[in-house]
Amino acid sequence: MPAVLVTHADEPLGRRIVKTLFHDERIERVFALGAGAAPRSFDRFLAGSPPRVAYARVDLAKHRPMADLFHSARLREAEIDTVVHVPSHGPSGALASRQRAGSLVSGVSSRTAEARLVLQHSLDARSVTSLIVIGSAFVYRLAPGNANRLCETSELDLDPNVPAEIRSWIDCDMVFHAEVGNHRARVVLLRVPTVVASGGFVYLNPALSGPSGLRLRPVGFDPMCAVVAEQDVAQAVLAAVHGGTSGVYNVAGTEHLPLSVLGRWTRRPTVPVPNSVLRAASFAARVLREPQLRASVEGAHLRYGFSLDTRRAERDLGFRPSYRVGLGRAGDGRVQLETSPV
Amino acid sequence: MTPREPLFLDGVRSEVVEPIMGPLTALGTDPFEAAEVAEDPFSERLERLRGPSAPRAGLLRASPVQRAPRPRPRRLGADPTPQARGWATTPRLAEVEFAEQSGLLDRFVPESERRRLVALGHLVDGEAPYDRFGFSPSALRAAFPLFLALYRFYFRVRSEGHENIPAEGPAILAANHGGLLPFDGAMGILDVLLHTDPPRLARAIVDRWAGRLPWVNVFYARVGQVVGTRENFSDLLEDGQLVFVFPEGVEGIRKLVTQRYRLQGFHVGFVEQALRVGAPIIPMAILGSDDQAPILFDLKPLARSLGLPVLPITPTFPWFGPLGLLPYPVRYRIVYGEPLRFHERFGPEGAEDARLVRYLANQVRRSVQLLVDRHR
Repeated sequence: MPAVLVTHADEPLGRRIVKTLFHDERIERVFALGAGAAPRSFDRFLAGSPPRVAYARVDLAKHRPMADLFHSARLREAEIDTVVHVPSHGPSGALASRQRAGSLVSGVSSRTAEARLVLQHSLDARSVTSLIVIGSAFVYRLAPGNANRLCETSELDLDPNVPAEIRSWIDCDMVFHAEVGNHRARVVLLRVPTVVASGGFVYLNPALSGPSGLRLRPVGFDPMCAVVAEQDVAQAVLAAVHGGTSGVYNVAGTEHLPLSVLGRWTRRPTVPVPNSVLRAASFAARVLREPQLRASVEGAHLRYGFSLDTRRAERDLGFRPSYRVGLGRAGDGRVQLETSPV
Repeated sequence: MTPREPLFLDGVRSEVVEPIMGPLTALGTDPFEAAEVAEDPFSERLERLRGPSAPRAGLLRASPVQRAPRPRPRRLGADPTPQARGWATTPRLAEVEFAEQSGLLDRFVPESERRRLVALGHLVDGEAPYDRFGFSPSALRAAFPLFLALYRFYFRVRSEGHENIPAEGPAILAANHGGLLPFDGAMGILDVLLHTDPPRLARAIVDRWAGRLPWVNVFYARVGQVVGTRENFSDLLEDGQLVFVFPEGVEGIRKLVTQRYRLQGFHVGFVEQALRVGAPIIPMAILGSDDQAPILFDLKPLARSLGLPVLPITPTFPWFGPLGLLPYPVRYRIVYGEPLRFHERFGPEGAEDARLVRYLANQVRRSVQLLVDRHR
């Protein structure tokens, strides 16, 4: 029975993955890592003797705490065989707070530094045989058009002018992609588009990242966004944990929404503005060292949409989206984006 | 901690070596030890909150104001049954569940046409009202009255040969292209929609540069048009949709008045896709489009430097500004030819033969040219 280590488990996607792993009887134990205190929703997971979930606060971007973690007695005794790396993505996550402080780790973004250390320690640990990583589908190069169906071999956006936020996802992607053929551990990279969570929350979309509020978009453009329910992402991770393959896989749902609609129903309404306003906002973001803000006002993803070809994931991982994303009405009458099982 | 015997090194009682206490760590401290929580943190936290002032044992978040319970979300028109993946089809008009609307736009559109629009709503799978190309039945519904008025009263379209359009399954409409603005495409789509049962939406393939144009790209996407990439084309056909192409491409709208109704060279990609997917090609002649804005001269070098496909001189453009681009009120005539079923003879492997594909594309061109010449 596998024992799984999950990083950034205190952020929304990590929480969902821990929950899914907890409810899977084939998983023996789950070790959850986070930058903050254990989420309250973990209370029932941490209960029991011995608890099936253990939680620890670790700074993944620093070498010493990571070395301590992978050499700790508990981790060695548990013989962790799978590491699930969920890069920081939440609006209040560790990465966001570090970015607000404007710091880099050894000259690279925190997300990239974390990716390097997780990879290094996972490959060094003898027991780890699987490394599963959540990546962003916004790493692809986008071309004009209302639908770009992107497959796993599509070109990445290596333009030097890509906003730093997206660049860090690309770097993170390439760090793990380079190890896909590793003979000792299998590496599975799951590229996901905009993740929608129940309650009108949305993650991993550079145009809508950060707290709720107004967003800008170029006038005359309203790109289609592929979306996936967070439950489906967790199911894809579970399929990768139990699967025996390695490689890069696109994971997406069946629904697509325009950016304006996605923003409106997730409390981030978008305002169309001329390019000059966007350029000024981008300049201000650079001066203020706000990479998330810069990514929300600059980049091809504001003009050109995409959809993902998920056939490889269906074939190799047996992944099929089992949740729908649509509009729901909360009890107070407010319409918001919801997920529901098919 | 239990007392332990002192350890002696080499039998000499010189130094007492204390055993390492706690879990063995090679480096620093064990993060799981540092963040050790009580064995049952849930009960501990509950006990802490259960203090004398706590009103109820189950209330975990102490709050001076009693909050209303969080309302559970309710689905809007959720369909719990999974829709089997297959060809995108629309119901027949007689089967359409139709409710009377009282909107302003509905007053201008007869009920039979509104039924067709309702039927098109079935093309969008799932609860999200958009397909992956951006088509939105509600956007089409909003634009429909204007284009219906153009169809009926401005271009006064007449058409024939609708029986050649298959009722379901993948098919390709290949037509001649003309006029500066693509009203021939709009009238073709509308004609197919108005003369098929079950109603079919022809998904027009538009050039890549249209995706760069502000507003135009959004409008095209919402009314069902798709940027012409190989993947998009094959996706539509595999989905069982009716694809509408102008194989002449931009060359069709660049034709001078002296070349009108003379078809230019055809691109071959649509034949390749038809062979791969097994879709019939229906030749289609659109008469009137070449007369709607006759081009006297084309300023090619200037158009190239401005990144435009064409920069024409017409009897009205540029003399009347952008209004000069509007089409003249010519009468349209649309004719559908008999389907060409190349796939039945050559199969999907025929798509690999470039010479065969080129030959078949020329056959389609010849068929369209014959239709044009016969009905002109």
